[in-house]
Amino acid sequence: MVEVLGHGRFRVDSRLAYAVKDRQRVWVFLEGRSYLVEGGDRGDDIRAHSTDDQMALSAPMPATVIAIAATPGQEVAAGDLLVMLEAMKMELPIRAPRGGRVKALACREGELVQPGVPLVEME
Amino acid sequence: MERQPRRILIANRGEIAVRVIRACRELGIPSVAVYSDADARAPHVFLADIAVRIGEASPAESYLSISAILDAARKTGADAIHPGYGFLSENAGFASACERAGVTFIGPPAAVIERLGSKIAARAIARQAGVPVVPGETPADQSAGAIAAAARRVGFPILLKPSAGGGGIGMKTIRDERALAAGIEQARREAIAAFGDGTLYVERVIERPRHVEIQVLADNHGDVLYLFERECSIQRRHQKVVEETPSPALTPALRRRMGEAAVALARAAGYRNAGTVEFLLEGTGDRASFYFLEVNTRLQVEHPVTERVTGVDLVHAQIAIARGEPIPWDQEWLTQRGHAIEVRVYAEDPANHDLPQAGPLLLYREPSMPGIRIDSGASEGGEVSVHYDPLIAKLIADGETRDIARRRAIEALRNYPILGIRTNLSLLIEILEHPRFVSGDIDTRFLESEGANLRARASSDVPAEAIEVAALLRSHATDSSRRSTGSEGGGAKADPWDTLRGYRG
Repeated sequence: MVEVLGHGRFRVDSRLAYAVKDRQRVWVFLEGRSYLVEGGDRGDDIRAHSTDDQMALSAPMPATVIAIAATPGQEVAAGDLLVMLEAMKMELPIRAPRGGRVKALACREGELVQPGVPLVEME
Repeated sequence: MERQPRRILIANRGEIAVRVIRACRELGIPSVAVYSDADARAPHVFLADIAVRIGEASPAESYLSISAILDAARKTGADAIHPGYGFLSENAGFASACERAGVTFIGPPAAVIERLGSKIAARAIARQAGVPVVPGETPADQSAGAIAAAARRVGFPILLKPSAGGGGIGMKTIRDERALAAGIEQARREAIAAFGDGTLYVERVIERPRHVEIQVLADNHGDVLYLFERECSIQRRHQKVVEETPSPALTPALRRRMGEAAVALARAAGYRNAGTVEFLLEGTGDRASFYFLEVNTRLQVEHPVTERVTGVDLVHAQIAIARGEPIPWDQEWLTQRGHAIEVRVYAEDPANHDLPQAGPLLLYREPSMPGIRIDSGASEGGEVSVHYDPLIAKLIADGETRDIARRRAIEALRNYPILGIRTNLSLLIEILEHPRFVSGDIDTRFLESEGANLRARASSDVPAEAIEVAALLRSHATDSSRRSTGSEGGGAKADPWDTLRGYRG
């Protein structure tokens, strides 16, 4: 049973949840975990994934490309460094999420890249 | 007649600016906030008596601009500056510019910051004070070849650190010869990017060490006291994530030895005001060895855990010392009562290499519960900016035992909704529930060795309840009348007592 309590609060059985709309998506907080639920207006259409499951091959925020470690055509293993970014005073490694071949690189060293824009294409 | 700051300018932002402004208000001292364009609506700006824009969002144009900050002090009649942590807090040039401008810098004298900021000079002071140090050197010849030779002399595994650095930025652990060349190149690049100085320091890695630091306070009248330890072994990439006091590894005798070593070092350095002497601890109990790491010549991020167990307000103490007042207690007066644990709530993605996240705080509600203190500079409707570090808040739990403090921290995190950006909340809960953390069996490699396991548990599939909540929010937003899903449908009555009954907050 889910019930609207108002002010972003929901009752789920005996627990309290929080939720807020973010354009087409909904963030939900339940017992110390947050989830990003995507999809249309109908519950049965919803495609959902945990907030921790994000595309690893793009920058999470504006960042500078400081090194490119992969070349197109190269075979890489899961966890291999592909691109090194720098933002918020830290180096942010972009690593291969799985084994495969690097299809194309869409960034250059020194380039300022925007969040969500693919940096590396894998096949 | 003691010098009374008429007005204190806080040269910082975020939670620490809020924390220091509150202390000023408690003491009846008017405060001045400074802010960049990115922070025009930040909480610290509204809390201070006066707020001054000092420049653009980039730290170099604002919070790191000595001239902009001293201009703001002059315009507002501030006669003292609290630097917080980070930014200019350990910048000797800033402290001496304050001295020249006739503004009291709330911290140690510029010469002391300079001496302790150099790892070479700090180690020399430690040796002179009889405090053990980790084997290491800064090669005079900084070529890659000479650094490699120094690494072989010191012995693998080694740590490469920017000589000018701090806060773990640019540090690289190198376990063997094969990783050396790439490691030197990367450490050099980060050192130059972060500090404008590529000088590297080579140090032996102590295996399975704990990070235990001692808080000290020194006044202008020759008194130096220690306010016990903080254990900060839960780190990732040398950035602390969980801190606590007392340390599960210390005995009264070891605590006294480390405290007295920290005081001896502070005396040898001519220290003033609040500072922290960091040690690596090898082993536990009376037979453990400790090695001096560095002195942080400022208030630490994790200072609240010390405040919770000693009852001392460290910012009040800093201001009193800067006024020239003597510390009003002696060492015997100070005790540790109960236990305190701090967790750092970061905007970062634990499932994706802890990548920092920037974005809006669409929903942000701090829990209020027994034994919980939250130091934050965030509010609902605000945002985590790409320009600054991703710390959202610090949650500090205390209790009469370590286990009670730990359980309180978990309960508070489970009731701390932060939506709009990814955070490390679920990872923090997993750390606090991990059997090794529960038993106190931790070291600085805890997150490295347990991280994959913790992260797997911290990231779970979206449960059906969350999907239901999302669906209800969407439908509710479109027809705006109260509705409920599920078979019982009791929520349609919207009786407040009915809706409150099941909430176990």
